[in-house]
Amino acid sequence: MAKKQIPIEEGLFEEAASSDERPYLIGNKCKECGLTAFPKTPVCPRCMKQDTMEETKFEGKGTLDSFSIVQAALPGFKAPSIQAYINIENGPTIWSLVTGCEPTEDALKMGMEMEMVIDKVREDEEGNELMSYQFKPAGK
Amino acid sequence: MRDVSIIGVGMTRFGKFEDRDMKDLGREATWKALEDSGVAMKDIEIAYVANAVGQQLTELKGTIGQHVLTSAGLFGVPIINVENACTGGSTALRGAYMEVASGNCDVALAVGVEKLFCGDSAKSAQTMAAGTVYAKFGFMFVALYALQLKKWMAASGATKEHFAKVAAKNKYNGSLNPYAQFQKAMTVEEILGSRVVAEPLTQFMCSTMADGGAAAIVCSKKIASKFTSKQPISIAACELVSGTYNIPGEPHEEITTRAAMKAYEKSGIGPDDIDVVEVHDAMSPAELRLYEELHLCKPGEAGKMIDEGHTTLTGRIPVNPSGGLAAKGHPISATGLAQVYEIVTQLRGEAGKRQVTNNPNVGMTENAGGWTMDDNAACAITILKK
Repeated sequence: MAKKQIPIEEGLFEEAASSDERPYLIGNKCKECGLTAFPKTPVCPRCMKQDTMEETKFEGKGTLDSFSIVQAALPGFKAPSIQAYINIENGPTIWSLVTGCEPTEDALKMGMEMEMVIDKVREDEEGNELMSYQFKPAGK
Repeated sequence: MRDVSIIGVGMTRFGKFEDRDMKDLGREATWKALEDSGVAMKDIEIAYVANAVGQQLTELKGTIGQHVLTSAGLFGVPIINVENACTGGSTALRGAYMEVASGNCDVALAVGVEKLFCGDSAKSAQTMAAGTVYAKFGFMFVALYALQLKKWMAASGATKEHFAKVAAKNKYNGSLNPYAQFQKAMTVEEILGSRVVAEPLTQFMCSTMADGGAAAIVCSKKIASKFTSKQPISIAACELVSGTYNIPGEPHEEITTRAAMKAYEKSGIGPDDIDVVEVHDAMSPAELRLYEELHLCKPGEAGKMIDEGHTTLTGRIPVNPSGGLAAKGHPISATGLAQVYEIVTQLRGEAGKRQVTNNPNVGMTENAGGWTMDDNAACAITILKK
């Protein structure tokens, strides 16, 4: 059976529709207070009212809030990994894996510009590639 | 609300016990607390039992409190099962405390018990991470601590050497604690030289898996002397909060600070009045941040606290005299009550070789756990006094 690329979770991100477009994250935003969330949250944590959150796209730009080169790994995952907080442009701060650079302290700097890509997290038991949003240093 | 005292505490040693199950661990902790208190099992009117991952990792698939306590010989009374991640033990204590404070009962039991070694450490690791939405991406709690500490280092000026000093202090304390999982003192150099787990954290700064149980018995202060001639320890505050949403561009008060402020306000006891503290340092360096978050020192002074030795056993305000989570061990739901065990033991002056030397009158525990929407799921602060 051919190996497939499978989103690690539905409804988190959308791949670029064509080569001149970019992938984006699917979050939501409160139409009353402007609060943003990723992943989507059903009720605005600030207004505490139902039915105020509307789906929105985050275009996948951000800055590196903090990062760690992690030498330990859960079963099925490879070490080292780079785990980070990303401040998303016009959005919240989110946890993300970092890709597209060496797992060294010198490769990254807090505050640097990052951009989102869709990349493999790991392979499942059948060898399918589980894909997710990740961030890489911008322009690299 | 009535005044409530802790009149008995008990715990198992923490560690890897392949031949012991949760019933066995819970029974030992419960009976040690009973014997310490002078309370008979028949006097227990209600019990709160905390456990986090027993359903996933053991043969017990529900009503774990009843399984554990019937094995200990407690029947008939209400038993409330508590799951609140690492904060479970303190949450169980809060339940027992409220039952007595409200006048509903005179004597109540709180137990925390956990069994993480199940013969399959991969399964244990996955289960512990599964409490968060990011587990499927390879998220690890150690990475979360690392990320936050790295950012905090940049803001506070704290260094890896400070981190190792805290870990060395706690390893030393653990070496004096017969209930600690790891009873070996280590130097700053040994800790810095150990394997990097998640930069800037090394192996000997981090807690690992453990099995264990801890328990406390609370009663109305008025009747404490009926059971025991020991100094009853009053619960001055037993506060619990959940996480809040972190809104970009807006200040986000740390969950630990929010919980501590509530506890300080309720008890009328401020950080300057506290003599001994147990904090939730699943990774030892987190203790430094907590000095600031709990207002035990001014912002930016955490490094100085450890450099000047203020938090050692002989310091002005000893922190984690038990060894903390990384040395004592961290069996999730037992941790909060083991912290309470330590503070009660210190306030009574019964801590033996690790007894703090400032003749403490007031102690505090901080017990945080879980992760939801970019904040800890829960945090409990308990203030205890003679």
